[in-house]
Amino acid sequence: MKGEEVERLVRALLGELSRSDVSALGRDEDLVEHLGLDSLQGLSFLAAVEKRFQVRFPDELLAALRSVGALVEGIQSARKEPVA
Amino acid sequence: MRIGLIAMSGVRVRNPELAALGVSLPQFVSRGRVIASLPSLGLLTVAGLTPREHEVLYLEFAELPPADQELERFDLVGISSFTAQIDEAYALADRYRAIGVPVALGGLHVSLLPEEAARHADAIVVNGAEGAWPRLLQDFQAGRMQPRYEGLRARVFEEPNYVLPRFELLRGRPYNRLTVQTSRGCPLDCEFCAASLRITSSFQQKPVDKVVAEIRAAREVTSQPFFELADDNTFISKKWGKELLRALRPLGIRWFTETDISVADDEELLELLAESGCAQVLIGLESPDAGSLASLDPHNWKQRRCDDYLRAIERIQSRGVSVNGCFILGLDNHGPDIFEKVRDFVARAGLIEVQVTVQTPFPGTPLHARLKREGRLLPEPYWDRCTLFDVTYEPLHMSRAELEAGMRWLFSELYNEREFLQRKRRYMELVKQRI
Ligand code: B12
Ligand code: SF4
Repeated sequence: MKGEEVERLVRALLGELSRSDVSALGRDEDLVEHLGLDSLQGLSFLAAVEKRFQVRFPDELLAALRSVGALVEGIQSARKEPVA
Repeated sequence: MRIGLIAMSGVRVRNPELAALGVSLPQFVSRGRVIASLPSLGLLTVAGLTPREHEVLYLEFAELPPADQELERFDLVGISSFTAQIDEAYALADRYRAIGVPVALGGLHVSLLPEEAARHADAIVVNGAEGAWPRLLQDFQAGRMQPRYEGLRARVFEEPNYVLPRFELLRGRPYNRLTVQTSRGCPLDCEFCAASLRITSSFQQKPVDKVVAEIRAAREVTSQPFFELADDNTFISKKWGKELLRALRPLGIRWFTETDISVADDEELLELLAESGCAQVLIGLESPDAGSLASLDPHNWKQRRCDDYLRAIERIQSRGVSVNGCFILGLDNHGPDIFEKVRDFVARAGLIEVQVTVQTPFPGTPLHARLKREGRLLPEPYWDRCTLFDVTYEPLHMSRAELEAGMRWLFSELYNEREFLQRKRRYMELVKQRI
């Protein structure tokens, strides 16, 4: 899957989960701040991304996955690793 | 009339080593930051009880304003109280009175030690503000304010005593969550408990439609749909609990509350918890072994439930609702091996969040009275150390130094980066099972 396609799907999932319009959200904008996510919500969102894209982010990267751009890169590099 | 309602905000720790450790432990810090920004629901309720002809300003002070800073003037000031910040509350009251502004003090600590509080106030209100504050204001306007008002200990959620807290006073302020109270008191009656059961004669529950109205009112002033229920033990009645959860379900909020392990007994309640947006329940497990829970509450309820803790935690967390397990260190049956026992239990239970505090003899509790009789308390007043993290008494089966050192050790075992990441991962795996 190409970067743009991953980004489109990430945005769609984000919009669905946060029930808000995220189309205008900058690629590097901080999601936690922008959407006012609490920490468990942030993790729930990451869990949903992992499940939808069939990936597993390395635990030590979780805290850094706070923008659409970081998520897209995270998904792409996790896809290169075998799924744990 | 212009009335200032003031809360001392934020969290407190006195022991410098623990404070230093706290700042370096990621999970400790993140929870601290979240809860430190909660507003005073007590004062929003007092504001609700204030006739609308008066102007009310709600203020929070994280610390005392510097001595040379002029205080904002009011016709009357009301200050709320918890034990740990009472010295600051008294100092602020004294400063207001010194510039001729009358002060009314209320809240938990004032209710527990009214004679002490009366020395710093023109009037004190004990128990709930319901049934007292409107009378106090009338008397104040008529120039005959009394030194002491007894608020209600029962029927606080019934008309005409109940009022909607004035959440609109928070408009424009950056809270990341708001509180709503659904019940007051707790029938378990633990010896150390210093929460709202001390200002109620029995357990009281708010009608569900009032809870929903409060959440709706609060949502009008915040874009954050996260709520903390400011209860001691929400699900005492499973029947009422289910009614509440069904009513919360369509509101689309995320929420957190404090309750006991018996929520795990009821499948339907667990399903509803998850469906209603409950992110986490905080449960006072207190200790991992039944032996040390003897006499904690008059019916040994927690002791009887202890052997079932692991299974119960699993049942709750498997619904995607995380459990914040709370442990109290320094109970009379705790020896120096308790710290490792807690660490091992937390790992075995897969608890997603954990809160460890030290037993604290808050004034006005049965624990305080007993330890005083036994001559085991620090010289009084030690109120600024009632933070739940500072040791204020002589433990029975270890020294104070051992308890303090053991607590620091346990903190670094539980709140380090590796544990933090493992807990995050556990939570994510739970969520994945559910979606
Ligand atoms: C929300 C909360 C907080 C918020 C409080 C925000 C705030 N400023 O109020 C935050 C996160 C900041 C907080 C901090 C702390 N908290 Co706290 N917190 C709670 C919690 C969960 C709910 C409190 C609540 O909102 N109750 C609902 C309201 C409606 O009740 P209320 O405040 O008692 O108000 C009623 C009456 O007291 C009275 N009243 C209150 N104020 C006034 C003022 C006037 C003028 C009048 C007339 C009447 C009046 O009328 C109100 C309506 O009836 C309770 C636990 C629980 N489940 O109850 C612990 C609790 C209150 N906290 C506790 C503790 C120990 C702390 C900390 C010391 C922790 C720490 N180490 O930092 C700090 C205190 C520092 C500080 N700044 O005071 C203890 C207090 C025990 C005690 N006797 O003091 C409790 C009971 C928890 C426990 N484990 O025992 N806490
Ligand atoms: S179960 Fe919790 S709220 Fe109830 S009395 Fe015990 S400590 Fe207090």
